[in-house]
Amino acid sequence: MWKNFCSLLKKDFQIMVDGKFFLISLGSLILYTLFINFGYIRFVNDRLYNVYLYDPCGAFEQADKLIHPVESMEELNAALSTDTNGVGIDASLGVPEIILYVGKEKVDHHRADYALSLLQPGGKYTARITGTNTKELKQRKEMCCELLFIEIVAVGFLGIASVLFKEKQMGVIRVHGVLPLEMSLFLLSKMTIFLLSDLIFAALMAVLNIGPWVTAGILPAVLLQTAILSLLMALTGLGCAMLLNDFRQFSLAYLVIAFFVSVPVFFSANTSVKMAWIDWHPFYQIYMGLKNACFGTPVINPAYYIRCVCGIIFLFLIVQAAFRREMGKEG
Amino acid sequence: MKGLAYQLKSVRKDKFCIISFLLPIIVAVALHFTGGIDLSSIAEFHFGVLENDLSAPAVSWLERYGTVSIFKTQEELTAEINDPSTNVIGVKADGSNIRTMVSGDEIDLFCQTADTLPLLYAHREMAEQAEVTYLERSNIMEGLQNIFIAITLIAAMFMGCTFNAVNIISEKENGIDFVNQILPVTQSRLMLQKIFVGFAGGCLSAVLTACICFRLPPERIFLMLALIILSSFVAALVGLFIGKFSESLMTGVACIKVVMIVFMAVPVFFYFSGTGSLLWMLCYLVPSNAAFEGIMNLAEGGKQVIAKDMLLLMAHCVSWFLLYLSISGWKKAPVLSMVRIR
Repeated sequence: MWKNFCSLLKKDFQIMVDGKFFLISLGSLILYTLFINFGYIRFVNDRLYNVYLYDPCGAFEQADKLIHPVESMEELNAALSTDTNGVGIDASLGVPEIILYVGKEKVDHHRADYALSLLQPGGKYTARITGTNTKELKQRKEMCCELLFIEIVAVGFLGIASVLFKEKQMGVIRVHGVLPLEMSLFLLSKMTIFLLSDLIFAALMAVLNIGPWVTAGILPAVLLQTAILSLLMALTGLGCAMLLNDFRQFSLAYLVIAFFVSVPVFFSANTSVKMAWIDWHPFYQIYMGLKNACFGTPVINPAYYIRCVCGIIFLFLIVQAAFRREMGKEG
Repeated sequence: MKGLAYQLKSVRKDKFCIISFLLPIIVAVALHFTGGIDLSSIAEFHFGVLENDLSAPAVSWLERYGTVSIFKTQEELTAEINDPSTNVIGVKADGSNIRTMVSGDEIDLFCQTADTLPLLYAHREMAEQAEVTYLERSNIMEGLQNIFIAITLIAAMFMGCTFNAVNIISEKENGIDFVNQILPVTQSRLMLQKIFVGFAGGCLSAVLTACICFRLPPERIFLMLALIILSSFVAALVGLFIGKFSESLMTGVACIKVVMIVFMAVPVFFYFSGTGSLLWMLCYLVPSNAAFEGIMNLAEGGKQVIAKDMLLLMAHCVSWFLLYLSISGWKKAPVLSMVRIR
């Protein structure tokens, strides 16, 4: 049995090499790494608003150095029209008058009050830090987790379909019906090869983008969550590929999964906007599991793991039934 | 003309093309009719306070700036502050003033807000007396939702590449590609037909999407139309490239996916990264970047910048077209004609 399994594994590996699956994964890895190291962490930042002061009388000479002094009202208006998030202070009459472009009400209150506070000299205060991550480390972990999720959900899902449709077209599945092989080996070999590929990808992503020392502490948890996601996606991909007639139909299912499933997950998980139904979204739970693992706080709730195992077994049974049906078409 | 009718008929029957065509329109309808998702809370600050710690006036004062969540224990508050998905600023009473807590991994905006909050609290009475003048923004599109609308429009414009790419790949898979080679049709005419298929699909999808989710004054409608036409033409050329280099539908779908991700991600990155760097200049190599910038500028009324975007898109049209000609070879004579075979 072990020998048969190894033969199947070798055959699947060859199909994936021929289908340029590993090449695409390597390309994705390089692209993601370049994006995180040279794009995301360098450019994603936002600072507080610029404050421009027109003070011809010199009433606020002790104002904070963060204030940009301007020489005329024209200059003040020009500065605000190019920097619409900025705040202008007109102190030409000796009392400060705040000028700003309207935005969100609560943010506008803060913009106005912040600008006024800079006019008064105040002691330097620094907020207490309660976390352990730095800004850069958080950005690296966050983006690494998101890209890993996209890679497994979108690219891996497409990869398994490409392998299976090729075999389906060649009639390999029907040939399996007359081979003296354990039926589940066919599915297990595919799951194993995709699982190994995803685990290696996850480890490399973490090492290259989060750093080897930090990764050492979180890798087991990250790999566990990757394995859960990988098995679920591989089985979903196998199921879709078995049940749907051709790749054209599969590509529609792929569009739905890649777009409508991932978007609310990213939206809920990365912003403070929470949709009431999102907790029922299975991909949200798994994404959060992966994200928490990346941030060193892995899920410890046994119910989550029981649900995942049940989900994997359930999908496996469906795929097995679909596989039987496909083999049965030969009669 | 008859050939073109056949091409369009073939695309019309393709479910993949129909879905690609409808997808941006469905998203536009969702954004327009449901009002999208309330994004206002993203721009606001979020504060976390302990139960029975801050005075009621202090909590009201915080609510002027954002939403305030109350936590029963210090552990719960710290967990919420440290949650990587949120940017909660913890606020506690400190005698007559307040003190703040942050996770330390937030972007500078939140750390600076936390650092300056006690000072703002100390000067709150002065702030209440100050006179504030609000200027109206000329921006038609508001908040983060603008980016969703612009990206949906970009997706619709560049989705045109799907139509002719899938059409070409299907012909390759079904062997029609070989039949085309013996038909009395020149390669150039066939190429123009394929460009038209992608161009028409992209244009129609983008126009419908723009009508649903974009409200523009009449004088800017023509500029938007010009942006759509130029972008759809580039998309059709991109579709030709994908069709040429993909031997199977699977490879084609993977290529379309990569192209669409790049075409949507680069403008968003460009939008948030600010101007000036070398990387920012390189972003213009992606045609959707000029289109995205054009859409955003159009909404803000900057006609001069739109001219730059139009020129960039025209340059893309010409260069992609010439590049395709140079690699495929422009042939006027039929490759093989039925007559010659007879």
